[in-house]
Amino acid sequence: MKGGFSTNILSLLSLALLWEVSGRLMESTLIPPLSQIGAAWWKLLGSGKLLANLSLSLTTLAIGFSLAVLVGITLGLLMGRFRAVEHFFDLYVNALMSAPTTAFVPMLILWFGLGVESRIAVVFLFAVFVIIINTMTGVKQVDNVLVEMARSFGAREKEIFFKIILPAALPAIMAGLRLGMGRAVKGMVTAEMLLTLTGIGAMIMQYGSSFATDSLFAVILTVLLVALLTMKAVQWLDRRLTGWKAEIAIE
Amino acid sequence: MNDLNDLNGLNERALKNLNESKPLVEIQAVSKSFHKTVKESTTELKALADVSLSIRENEFLSIIGPSGCGKTTLLKMIDGLIPYDSGKILINGKQISAPGPDRAVVFQSFALLPWRTVLANVEFSLELRQLAKEERAKTAREYLHRVGLAEFENHYPHELSGGMQQRAGLARALAVNPAILLMDEPFGAVDAQTRQLLQEELLELWQRERKTVIFITHSMDEAVYLSDRVVVMTPRPGRVAEILDVPLPRPRVSEEVRRDTKFVDLTNYIWESLKKAMENHH
Repeated sequence: MKGGFSTNILSLLSLALLWEVSGRLMESTLIPPLSQIGAAWWKLLGSGKLLANLSLSLTTLAIGFSLAVLVGITLGLLMGRFRAVEHFFDLYVNALMSAPTTAFVPMLILWFGLGVESRIAVVFLFAVFVIIINTMTGVKQVDNVLVEMARSFGAREKEIFFKIILPAALPAIMAGLRLGMGRAVKGMVTAEMLLTLTGIGAMIMQYGSSFATDSLFAVILTVLLVALLTMKAVQWLDRRLTGWKAEIAIE
Repeated sequence: MNDLNDLNGLNERALKNLNESKPLVEIQAVSKSFHKTVKESTTELKALADVSLSIRENEFLSIIGPSGCGKTTLLKMIDGLIPYDSGKILINGKQISAPGPDRAVVFQSFALLPWRTVLANVEFSLELRQLAKEERAKTAREYLHRVGLAEFENHYPHELSGGMQQRAGLARALAVNPAILLMDEPFGAVDAQTRQLLQEELLELWQRERKTVIFITHSMDEAVYLSDRVVVMTPRPGRVAEILDVPLPRPRVSEEVRRDTKFVDLTNYIWESLKKAMENHH
């Protein structure tokens, strides 16, 4: 783990160095040196513009992702537990899972207008299906011997669900949340670029079209940072909840 | 006064004798088939045919037979986990249809919950019986102590050896204080030395707790060493081929018993019986 971390740092430093040197050598606006991007980032931060837009974006992300988690886990659990529910929904879930979600944006505008509702809907659609499928798979993979054991000791359906199925499926559910979080960030930026120009997406479009490449890169790097941090947050939660599983994997 | 006491004592003894003569578990002409559907053609798999057996209170009974003779199926039916097609299974004279508090199973694959510590695993069976939290922990610790796992209560199952995991499985079953302990090849998944150790410990526990044990195994040696009676079953569909008394005195000390000629003869006899049953089958 420690070795991995120092290799990470080494990798980042070499990339930064390569970027700085090539940026200075090329003297092109297409690849500004990293120091110039850093300066632009600092300015954006100082003006409060970055933080204002970021908080706008993150609010959309938080609401959309929370809804996706709520609906995704509930539907996934039901689909994994009940054949009929699975057969009723699996066609749509599988189709929408691999469909390019961006294609639904025009329809969402018609339904929800150009406001924040549409952006939340995009984030939701980006994230929800992978959560559904992971949850369902997790439930279906629960070792039947454990269910039989619980039944043998007199467990009722409700107890089997909460004491066996849910904890046994938790690692798969958390994997779904991790993948869903990644997709939600994509959904957030996509919505802001395609729907209404707001938040981080608006900044990207604005700086891109005005060739302000240093600010553009500063915003892109911020998006990457957001993606990384949200992912880490889910990973942290995962370790808290399913520590027993991680230990098994190490053995 | 003295006379009255004597009379009471007599009555108690008479009642006890009556209980001992009366079978606790009665299996009457039970049959079971499974239906397997592969591409529209359903084949019927006869697992058990016309099995009759009665088990006395406090008896240690082993059921031995080749793989696929339906012995695990029979055990699950006694537990009430799966229904039977025909016949009857009675416990204390009452027909059973679902798992009940008078029975507990020790599973071949341990069936411990990997996200719970050993203590929490033993508490699981008590949670389902709606025991208060402090009571649960107290009882679970008590049984962990009896199976020699007191120091491992905070370990997770994967941190323990197979033998220790099965000790936890045994503690979980004993903790609910069942009248009947149903053991499904409980020592099948542990190495030979551990197996022998666990057998000895089980006998000791059984002698102390006085439970009725129905023990599934495919080891002749294990069946003879542990049991009062051994039921030999035929290959699929499983039938009772023979029921044998084990005339070895208790308590049984492993090293001595296994050298006893009666032990050796009986083991050989069971082997012949199993061989005959398999040959008739083919």
